[in-house]
Amino acid sequence: MTHPSHQRTRRWRRMTRLIGVLFAFSLVAAACGSDDDSEDADEAPAATEAMAEESMADSMDDDHMDDSMDDSMDDDHMDDSMDESMDDEMMDDSMDESMDDEMMDLSGTKVSVFGPESSDEEAGALRDALDHFAAQTGIEITYTGARDAADQINAQAAGGNPPDIFIFPQPGKLADFARDGYLEPLPADVVAAMNEHWTPAWTVFGDVDGTQYGIPNKSDLKSLVWYKPALFESKGYSVPGTWDELKALSAEMIANGDTPFCIGIESGPATGWTFTDWVEDLMLRFHTPEDYDAWVAGDLAFSSDEVSGVFTEVLDLWNTPGMVFAAGGSIAATPFGDNGQPLVDNDCMMHRQASFYAAFIPEGTVFADGSADAVDTFYFPSVRGDQPVLGAGTLVGAFRDAPEVWEVMKYFGSSEYAEVRQRAQTDRKGGGLSGFLSAATNQDPSVYQPLEQSFLSILQNADVVRFDGSDLMPAEVGAGTFWTEGTAVVNGDKTVAEATQVIDDSWPQ
Amino acid sequence: MAALWGAFVGVVISVGASAALFWGTHRLFALVERRWAAVAAVSGVITGAVAGALASGIRSGPDSEQLLAGSQLVWIIGGAAVAGLAGAAVGIGWPLSAARIVAVQSRLRALTFVGPAMLFVALGLIIPLLRTIYLSLFDKRGTDFRGLANYGEIFTNAQSLDLSGWAGIFGSQLFYGAVVLFALMAVIALYRGRRRGVRADFSPGTIGIGLGAGLLLSFAVFASLRGTVMNNLWWVVAVTFLSTALGLLAAVIADRVKRESLAKSLIFLPMAISFVGAGIIWRFMYIARPPQKSQTGLLNAIWVWLGTLRPSTGGAWAAVAVLASVTAVLTGLCAFGVRRRQTAIAVGSATAAIPLLWLIYRFLGPGVGGSVPGPNDEPIAGTILFVQESPFNNLWLMVVLIWIQTGFAMVILSAAIKAVPADLIEAARVDGADERQVFFQVTLPTIVPTITVVMTAMIVLVMKVFDIVRVMTNGNFGTQVIANEMWQRSFTEFNLGLGSALAVVLFLGVVPVMGLNIRRMQRGE
Repeated sequence: MTHPSHQRTRRWRRMTRLIGVLFAFSLVAAACGSDDDSEDADEAPAATEAMAEESMADSMDDDHMDDSMDDSMDDDHMDDSMDESMDDEMMDDSMDESMDDEMMDLSGTKVSVFGPESSDEEAGALRDALDHFAAQTGIEITYTGARDAADQINAQAAGGNPPDIFIFPQPGKLADFARDGYLEPLPADVVAAMNEHWTPAWTVFGDVDGTQYGIPNKSDLKSLVWYKPALFESKGYSVPGTWDELKALSAEMIANGDTPFCIGIESGPATGWTFTDWVEDLMLRFHTPEDYDAWVAGDLAFSSDEVSGVFTEVLDLWNTPGMVFAAGGSIAATPFGDNGQPLVDNDCMMHRQASFYAAFIPEGTVFADGSADAVDTFYFPSVRGDQPVLGAGTLVGAFRDAPEVWEVMKYFGSSEYAEVRQRAQTDRKGGGLSGFLSAATNQDPSVYQPLEQSFLSILQNADVVRFDGSDLMPAEVGAGTFWTEGTAVVNGDKTVAEATQVIDDSWPQ
Repeated sequence: MAALWGAFVGVVISVGASAALFWGTHRLFALVERRWAAVAAVSGVITGAVAGALASGIRSGPDSEQLLAGSQLVWIIGGAAVAGLAGAAVGIGWPLSAARIVAVQSRLRALTFVGPAMLFVALGLIIPLLRTIYLSLFDKRGTDFRGLANYGEIFTNAQSLDLSGWAGIFGSQLFYGAVVLFALMAVIALYRGRRRGVRADFSPGTIGIGLGAGLLLSFAVFASLRGTVMNNLWWVVAVTFLSTALGLLAAVIADRVKRESLAKSLIFLPMAISFVGAGIIWRFMYIARPPQKSQTGLLNAIWVWLGTLRPSTGGAWAAVAVLASVTAVLTGLCAFGVRRRQTAIAVGSATAAIPLLWLIYRFLGPGVGGSVPGPNDEPIAGTILFVQESPFNNLWLMVVLIWIQTGFAMVILSAAIKAVPADLIEAARVDGADERQVFFQVTLPTIVPTITVVMTAMIVLVMKVFDIVRVMTNGNFGTQVIANEMWQRSFTEFNLGLGSALAVVLFLGVVPVMGLNIRRMQRGE
């Protein structure tokens, strides 16, 4: 027999427990729901929202965002808001023509950006640069970075929830997405804005079958060798001007008991890309740019004498006894990021790596200031006397056709973005080289350090610039067999003939 | 805060809606008594609408913008109408007797509770499974039908199945080791058989030798026949067998030590570490640094340190002294075994002494461990590239999973050992059985069902191994497995056809084992 009041308290307890469970559920739901939103979505100032409500188109979009939580539970609502946003887009399309140059009020609109840059310095500086633009326009821009973004974007696009803008590390991927119909072609005014800042040598990588889909927003210079000038001087070595001189210098170093190169190709899921960079750089040197283009397009097979000859050239150099400073003597076991320390420690004399490698050289290192420990670069020597340059970089592509998205796209391609980002990244690196580089024209050169300016002048003045070949090839090869089979030959598991045959077989028909 | 309230309201609404749904169906089924035909019709309409929506969704693909567009409404209404009419026809055509009404009502009520669960299983498992099988018959973007070409590619591609190295089986030391062990097993069995007057008598020890020989033989085969599929099989065989064997050993030994729970906790501890975490930990264990630098990877550090022990430096003499004293103990044990006619002890200690004698020889002669004399006779580290040297790098990767799974096997087998009825063991002892006989004749046969359960659970888990390979090599250096290949094909290359086919192959590999397990459970093991 229980006392009535006792029963009441028990009922009350049950009620509170039920409410507690409901509350816990809603916390979880809220946490899941806000995944897509920015971290600071909740902090959006009330003033912005009030302003947004004045413009009809925007308020619709706002509703859509605010209610996104309910949407996940309430199908009907989702359909409504989706229809609305569809109408919205169509309206924007028709407005685009009439309003053209008139700056629309875009405050309160939201743009999501996704990309592969995820380190504190890089992603942080990228966010700083976007915040700068957000403060000007009132567009809420969120950036999410993930190391395997290039994998994730496949699932996101196929699953119907891509970001508004994706930063493509590989033009080949951009082309795949454009051909599959996921990307929006750039409107004429965006193309015009891009052309103010980028030369055709760079914009061509965002051109898919004659339509412009991508805007370059970051550049890397790959044909570089990092070294210490003072050490070279004290040992009596001179910077090689040709490939043969480089080989002779290496032999001299080995004879003197020095280790010429630090090389490592381990890079987690991307293991092997360092090898592909060497092959690409030498393809561009031993053969003509036309051959290079044919190779990248799949018309010149890997098993051809030209390409497999370059494979052999690289491997012969690497496998020379005493040539390489590497983990357990194994290039395949050495992380590419671990090459900076031994270079600074004089364990090796040279390291061929792109301009961004500044970010991997230990903190506190000085660059190109003439002091005894300064690290500098020289141009990876040519073979045929021309001065070809291997470049790389990222391109932005848009998945949604909306004015705020195009404004952010334009900003990504501007010299202003490059300057703001470069300043932020230099600050975050605590001075020194930032690792960021942009070949956009009209930039204020003072944001770059002297060594970075020399990179830029190499990039902007080179007669022959070619993009990193593996980034242009289809993913099956460029991010697949070229890496894995390259790793296999470097590790000695396969012969060049076997590996190149596998790569050729994997080229999509 | 607004988000939180929104979510709260949403949860309240959905809980309310579910409650209303349950109440509604309950009322509906209460009507079966009086209006059977109407209930049948309404049920038909609901089922038809859902089926129509699903069908139209599958037909038009995952294009969410099309949701509830005109053509889909047609599908839903059409489905509802057809199934509703069918339901009405059933309701009118087959009137129910009083007894049937009760049966139908109870069945329908059960359905109310099982239905949502079934629905979630269907949405989350069955439909994706069917779609995966469907996609596996198409090309990389799921548009052009390719038949079974994707499956053909899996089993003809040299990357996934390369049998060309079969001749290497007969050249490998593992093969000869297996042959020697098989011969040893046969000799012992025949010898024992002759003493007991039968053709061959297999003692537990003999069977153990046979199992070891089989394992060596399988390693010889897997090290020669390469490719993704063979790697997966190697994982299944090695990890399942070794984890179970080590787990059983640990369970038996832990059963007899003082601080049993402490010992078992320590062995079970790795189970608490995720596969990714364990992969990263073991990467550091295996890491090799440049020969000129001190080694930071534990195994290479030990290996290189051993190499520095040379007779010239005196370190080797200390090592030899330690080894010699252990060998002396083993020799004494062997003599004891021979005197007491305990063949297991004699053979075991003699076998254990062989590698020690070999080590003593190495220490005094060519040296042990990774160190080669440099130009000025200074030792230069000779590291082992555990992760890079194919094919036995696969084994070093498996060590990670064995390290994790041994604890799992031990805990379950230990519980089984403890559950062996004490009177059974008591009776065996009274009959004069010694410890060994009690274990092999009583305990082991009793826990065989548990061993099977452990092994099948392990096979299912190992077949799907992904994280460790992804973290440690990502399939490079000849360590690719099906699950990682599936990831790369599907998500790196976006080849949905081939990725789905690999998923189906993995699924088909797992299903029979799962089926076996479920049948065991249903028999009430």
